[in-house]
Amino acid sequence: MSKQEFLNQLERRLAGLPAEDIDERLNFYSEMIDDRMEEGLSEEEAVNEIGPIDTVVSQILSETPFPIIVREKIRSKRSFETWEIVLLVLGFPLWFSLLVAAASLVFSVFVVIWSLAFSMWAVTFSFAISVIVAVLGGIVEIFRFEGWRGVAYISIGFIMAGFSILMFIASIYMSKAAILLSKKFWIKIKSFFVGGENA
Amino acid sequence: MDIQLKRGLLDVCVLAAIKNEDSYGYKIIKDMKPYLELSESTLYTILKRLETADMLKVRSVEHNGRLRKYYHITSAGLKRINDFREEWKEMVSIYQFVSREDDSNE
Repeated sequence: MSKQEFLNQLERRLAGLPAEDIDERLNFYSEMIDDRMEEGLSEEEAVNEIGPIDTVVSQILSETPFPIIVREKIRSKRSFETWEIVLLVLGFPLWFSLLVAAASLVFSVFVVIWSLAFSMWAVTFSFAISVIVAVLGGIVEIFRFEGWRGVAYISIGFIMAGFSILMFIASIYMSKAAILLSKKFWIKIKSFFVGGENA
Repeated sequence: MDIQLKRGLLDVCVLAAIKNEDSYGYKIIKDMKPYLELSESTLYTILKRLETADMLKVRSVEHNGRLRKYYHITSAGLKRINDFREEWKEMVSIYQFVSREDDSNE
């Protein structure tokens, strides 16, 4: 890919971000490529060293706050015609419900991502509760001179303790996975607002 | 490495790269390469953050018929480096404490 191709693609993929922001980034990458070529790299090699354009774009998106993206989206179509306003008002029941639907869709994806982690934490918690109940119950039984039953209760408590430790570790892993997934999904949402044809 | 810790380290490293003389993007990346692998987009974000925090100033200089941005450290930037070194002294003493515990166990 030539330098110009790279910059053109980047510009297209970032369309929707504030214009001065895009300019500044394009200048930055252009300088980076030029400096590499001055060191003796070919244009192709210099562009390659910057990295795949997908990585560059998703990194930029993950660093840009969502409100800025939305604000820019609204600003880019500021002057409404009279008929547009009429249509907007009349169509309110339609577009508002669509907007709510879209927002709840996004929300539900996050719920799905987190529900597994949440339920695992719930299981961990209930295991931990059962440990306390079994051990306390066992002690009570011992004091009621039901020695064997008491020992059985306490041993069950220890087994449950083992389970709850395992579940605790699994829950932590699951939460980490959920965080990672949420981040990726969030970038996807952002890229829905940003970028021209091939966002 | 912890993300928050790494972010702080990167900020200080970039400041250190322009401490002695003004530098430009690609040179900063090259200078840091033996110690830290830094991507262009990460560097851009760091430079932006440091500029907003008034720790560095940017000026464009004509170079081979194009503009190149040079980054100049401010007194706030120098202070950040010194703060970091002070903090690190504490970290080192904690590290020595932790390692000593390690040795006595073996």
